[in-house]
Amino acid sequence: MKMNRRVFIKACGVMAGYAVLGANLTKEAVASTMDFVGLRQTSVYTADAKIYKVRKSQDNPMIKKIYDHEHGFLHEGPCGHMSHHLLHTHYNDRSARLAALKNKGFKFNL
Amino acid sequence: MKLIEGVMYQTNAPKGIDPDEIFFVQVDATKCEACGSCEEVCASGAIQAINDEGTRQVVDPAACMNCGQCLVSCPYGAIYEGVSYVDEIFEKLKDPDTVVVSMPAPAVRYGLGECFGAATGTYVGGQMHAALRKLGFDYIWDNEFTADVTIMEEGTELIQRVQEQGKKDARPLPQFTSCCPGWVKFAETFYPDLLPNLSSCKSPIGMLGPLSKTYGAHETKTEPKKVYTVSIMPCIAKKYEGLRPELADSGFRDIDATINTRELAYMIKTAGINFNSLPSQQPDPILGDSTGAATIFGNSGGVMEAALRLAYEVLSGKKLANPDIKVVRTHEGINTADVKVPNFGTVKVAVASGLANAAKLCDEVRAGKSPYHFIEIMTCPGGCVNGGGQPLDPDVRASLFKSTVAQINRRFRARKVSA
Ligand code: SF4
Ligand code: SF4
Repeated sequence: MKMNRRVFIKACGVMAGYAVLGANLTKEAVASTMDFVGLRQTSVYTADAKIYKVRKSQDNPMIKKIYDHEHGFLHEGPCGHMSHHLLHTHYNDRSARLAALKNKGFKFNL
Repeated sequence: MKLIEGVMYQTNAPKGIDPDEIFFVQVDATKCEACGSCEEVCASGAIQAINDEGTRQVVDPAACMNCGQCLVSCPYGAIYEGVSYVDEIFEKLKDPDTVVVSMPAPAVRYGLGECFGAATGTYVGGQMHAALRKLGFDYIWDNEFTADVTIMEEGTELIQRVQEQGKKDARPLPQFTSCCPGWVKFAETFYPDLLPNLSSCKSPIGMLGPLSKTYGAHETKTEPKKVYTVSIMPCIAKKYEGLRPELADSGFRDIDATINTRELAYMIKTAGINFNSLPSQQPDPILGDSTGAATIFGNSGGVMEAALRLAYEVLSGKKLANPDIKVVRTHEGINTADVKVPNFGTVKVAVASGLANAAKLCDEVRAGKSPYHFIEIMTCPGGCVNGGGQPLDPDVRASLFKSTVAQINRRFRARKVSA
């Protein structure tokens, strides 16, 4: 077999995944990604503490306005009639299609 | 296909189509090197080898939660996105008859700067608002405002559920959060028996869409039918959520288009805007102002902490002097905590980061052994800041491949020595 660049990279890939290194390499990559994620997380908590002047949802002036008992758009309060109409929803059982796939022989993790 | 911040996109902007028929994420078989990274990070097992060579494919949209964790972990850039609204949004921005509303999620402002050379995680909220104004959005509304609304609604629902216990027709505990679209589809697909435990609250974006076309339109004296809402997310699964047929409570489609952080960066660059020289600007009022509780929605444990900042005050009748509730902050895995609330008792909470961890908590609930009142679940490890629509980790592609070669070489040498 001619070992051109694509075949070489592919061979590395296959070995990396399973044959040579098992899943360890992916685990290492995931661990290094989590360091990267940690930097973004830290920045979020810093902004919460230092940049945002108001830190609780119930203290947001625009929240007070929308839930105002007399003139607010959601004057009945949270989980009121208007809230239920616009802000709440229902969910659908989607398991049937998965079951059909499993019957066809597909394997999933759950 | 279009290359956007290192990821290929099909320029497909579906309307009125069942989102279950769409591959939001798929593997380009000609680029797949069969390394298996994608399969390792996929909780559902939707992405699998389809031939002896090991080429991966998402085998059916029904098994895929559209989280994009496979895409951001592929070292070969072989995974593309199936849906992109950027062309349509550019047209709407030009159309004088359309009132285009921006709806960026919390996590976008902690990733967007990276596309313009900023250090990982740099907060660019003010510049993001300025960039949206420059792009021509008519209202700079912000999904962080409805994160605050979500806390009011979901926190109230939790308190109601706790008080209902023992009564006829009581809604069950624990209550699960419903902000994460990957998690919601996961529950619908793998744990449909637990759907009564999910908060009935829409996600923040599911709330901002209809509020824009009702309350927002009224307050700004805009004709609701002219309003075009653009959800801007760190996420790919939000594109699925935006297409859910039931999200049409404003009398129109609640969410007209969904893009992610990478696509927003692309739009800013395409429009020739110099992002780094933009001044910091505020969003527009009514549906724009937000709080620290809203911005932490971007992290795993954030919705929980924000909800506790409300629940503590409502249940105890006291002011919470220090809003930091650090015990629920979650970087990885499962985090549990007992939060003592004066005049009430103990609120037992759990946070799961990643769907494999979510499954463990779900199994516990299914078995009737879950001691918790409230469970937060995020599909992406670490939360939305690590969403499938965020700028890529430059190391995944650069160093994974290099370290692969290095490790193989090391093994090869080691074997030679011992032979
Ligand atoms: S991570 Fe990318 S290259 Fe590796 S198997 Fe999956 S799609 Fe193929
Ligand atoms: S998008 Fe998420 S659920 Fe779908 S194949 Fe990729 S990792 Fe798996």
